[in-house]
Amino acid sequence: MEKRKVTFRIRRFNPKKDSQPYYQEYEVEVVKGMTILEALQFIKDNIDPTLSFRAFCRSAICGSCSVKINGYPKLACKTQVFGELEVYKTDILTIEPIDNMEVIRDLIVNWDSAIEKMEKMRPYLIPDPEVVPKTLDEECKVYPNELKKFDRFTDCILCTTCYSVCGIVKVDSNYGGPFPLARVYRFAVDPRDALKKERAKIGYTFDMWNCVRCEKCADVCPKHVAPVNGIMKLRGLSIDIGLKNNPGARHVAAFYKSLLESGMLNEVLLPLRTKGIKGVLENLPMGIKMILKGKAHSPIMKPIAEHEGLRKVMKAAMEVE
Amino acid sequence: MLQYDIIIVGAGGAGLYAALETSKKENLKVAVVSKVFPTRSHTGAAQGGINAALGNVAPDNPEKHSYDTVKGSDFLADQDAVELMCQMAPKIIREMEHMGLPFSRLENGKIAQRPFGGASFPRTCYAADKTGHVMLQTLYEQCVKNGVNFLNEWFALSLVHNGERIAGIVALNLRTGEIVGIRAKAVILATGGHARIYWKRTSNALGNTGDGPAMALRAGVPLKDMEFVQFHPTGLRRTGILVTEGARGEGGYLINKDGERFMKRYAPEKMELAPRDLVSRAIETEILEGRGFKDAEGNKFVYLDLRHLGRKKILERLPQIRELAIDFEGVDPIEEPIPIRPTAHYSMGGIDTDIYGRTRIKGLYAAGECGCVSVHGANRLGGNSLLDIVVFGKLAGEDAVNYVSEVSLLPFEESAVREQEDRIRALFNNDGSEKLADLRNELSDVMTYGAGIFREEKKMKEALEKVREIKERAKKIKVYDTDMTFNTNLQQTLEFLNMVEVAETIVLGALERKESRGAHFRLDYPKRDDENFLKHSIIERGDDGELKISWKPVKITKFQPEERKY
Repeated sequence: MEKRKVTFRIRRFNPKKDSQPYYQEYEVEVVKGMTILEALQFIKDNIDPTLSFRAFCRSAICGSCSVKINGYPKLACKTQVFGELEVYKTDILTIEPIDNMEVIRDLIVNWDSAIEKMEKMRPYLIPDPEVVPKTLDEECKVYPNELKKFDRFTDCILCTTCYSVCGIVKVDSNYGGPFPLARVYRFAVDPRDALKKERAKIGYTFDMWNCVRCEKCADVCPKHVAPVNGIMKLRGLSIDIGLKNNPGARHVAAFYKSLLESGMLNEVLLPLRTKGIKGVLENLPMGIKMILKGKAHSPIMKPIAEHEGLRKVMKAAMEVE
Repeated sequence: MLQYDIIIVGAGGAGLYAALETSKKENLKVAVVSKVFPTRSHTGAAQGGINAALGNVAPDNPEKHSYDTVKGSDFLADQDAVELMCQMAPKIIREMEHMGLPFSRLENGKIAQRPFGGASFPRTCYAADKTGHVMLQTLYEQCVKNGVNFLNEWFALSLVHNGERIAGIVALNLRTGEIVGIRAKAVILATGGHARIYWKRTSNALGNTGDGPAMALRAGVPLKDMEFVQFHPTGLRRTGILVTEGARGEGGYLINKDGERFMKRYAPEKMELAPRDLVSRAIETEILEGRGFKDAEGNKFVYLDLRHLGRKKILERLPQIRELAIDFEGVDPIEEPIPIRPTAHYSMGGIDTDIYGRTRIKGLYAAGECGCVSVHGANRLGGNSLLDIVVFGKLAGEDAVNYVSEVSLLPFEESAVREQEDRIRALFNNDGSEKLADLRNELSDVMTYGAGIFREEKKMKEALEKVREIKERAKKIKVYDTDMTFNTNLQQTLEFLNMVEVAETIVLGALERKESRGAHFRLDYPKRDDENFLKHSIIERGDDGELKISWKPVKITKFQPEERKY
């Protein structure tokens, strides 16, 4: 049986006792097959009972044990120690609490603000009386292709991993965050829901247009939910219901229009359509530099040769959505 | 001191359904106390599905569902309770569906149903292999909608009553370390199962430590049918993590070392879809008789083969199982069979209640896996657990709402809080000559070999002695972590003490039940004995502190006991 000596460098902090966080090292002999969670419990059982972390189901469905392993947030329970040693080519693993939340103790963080934010965003079905039968003698009809639209988003286990890596959460306290916004989308496309596309207004209120689409939430999600996809689709719904008067929506519309007109992105008209005259003035120095360096086109553009084909593809794609 | 009309302890399916029921009534002060955040509860780990005679795939009705359940229970279930549950099933499924639960669907838009062990029809409603997860999320969402009040990460320590009526509980706020008295007119225990007693070989979450039954036992409330612990046939070889029965429902095969589908010898008609007790024993027999596999770590196992289902079906119906097999066994079921072995899974026994969840103490209820109504008797059918928790969570909630409208709060002695403070202080001051992890592993071995899948008198007597010895030695466990902020060392110690207490009732019940029935299989009494044991065992702690056992008749309505064949 394969065994390796591994040093776990764990960030410790008890706000009631310690003035600052510090790192403590534990050396453990790990057998192949052991998970990070098993290693943490081994340390607690055999070396240091004061090491504090959360864990519950140990099978990647409850979301209690998200921690940072060598800087990358994961569920401790479904992460193999040997796997990490392989990835980082090391015998030292650094375990830290996830970010964007205050530490209660050691690896345990306070997720209350993330959850409270979600709870304000009406994360529950409001039954549509037109669709949901009045009595319990009947079920709603939901067709497999309808379920497919939101099914993936119901995989979310509220582990808050995505929230912990989100740059916008860090800078915009009003931003809803990846998993809460994805949940809003989940209900917006559930045929049983009464608010339907109107749910996009909630996303709008919680700054969904501030998402910069860095896709980190998609990278780290242990259930492969990709909240960013939900946010993008929720933005689409907001445009559908006429919430167009904001830079984000105008930017999307400008992209779309430009492609429809010529098959190319008109970078000169883009600021004008997105931000108006003010935007053009703001971007003017940059624009001039770009034109001088030959990096921007003239605002008057000829459509590309396969333009008609492109329009057809775009139309088909919109219908699928 | 906090004060409510109703306290619900536990936020899984039973606790949340009870909470939803109470939230229908205005001006009622209710709190749900949970040692985890609600969506972390173990209900979320249920994969396969929930039974209801919807008849969406094949003609079906609640009576057939009742019969299958009673037969599956080896005729030990109370038939009035089973009938009630099976009657309520279609409506409660639709109620959750109307709440937004994303069930898998048929082409015609109706809820899909699949076959499960012990059922005569495809009766199990499901959401891929994440049924419990979406159910828990949906119930939590509705609780948010209805403004249910949660005390998250609070650990319940004791029940307070005056011998006749409940006065409240004492609980530990894990984040602050405060020990708090919580007054209430009614308390609903929904703390889940206790299969963690089989620590090294269980599918259960780390916290399924029998906190409810242990508290009840300490408070003089009887437990019922504790000897019945279900081993699920397909736990992953190393960790005991569950591979849903849905995997066999979709057509998975069990294969021994000789490449043989050995179920043909044990249940020629139902094969892999025979009930869990039967399949578990079949696998263990194969292993004991040398037809299993053995790996380098010494783990013995057989294979669950899904390869013939094909990539598409595995990805569509069993995606989570595939991921678990990859993450925990390094095996992709599309290409390789999954190494499995039976794993302690479900507690049929629990706090003795009637069909409304009422216990001996007025105002104290139990629902879900911590309670025993009983609808599962000696063996639970797959898909009936999620049903049990919602049906009886709802009924307990309803009954508690009525009850509290008629009574006032009882006096709550501060001494009850001090008692718990003293108990915890003593844990900090023990000599520490015994170690928590060692005793926990020892208890696991004692239970696995003494009161596991196969049982016999001599080994059980030894086991009982050893459990009592472990209980004595546990008095020396020291809690080294003395800081009260999120003291998980303290929590794990308290949980272990609960497990030892409950373990003793399992062995005692198993020793006294001199027959084989459902999950309880005795090598020395291999036959079911209706003449002497068609009855529930009742165990309670006497005034002298010793456990005493008594018996209670089984309620039989429509279905006369008959031999159970598959």
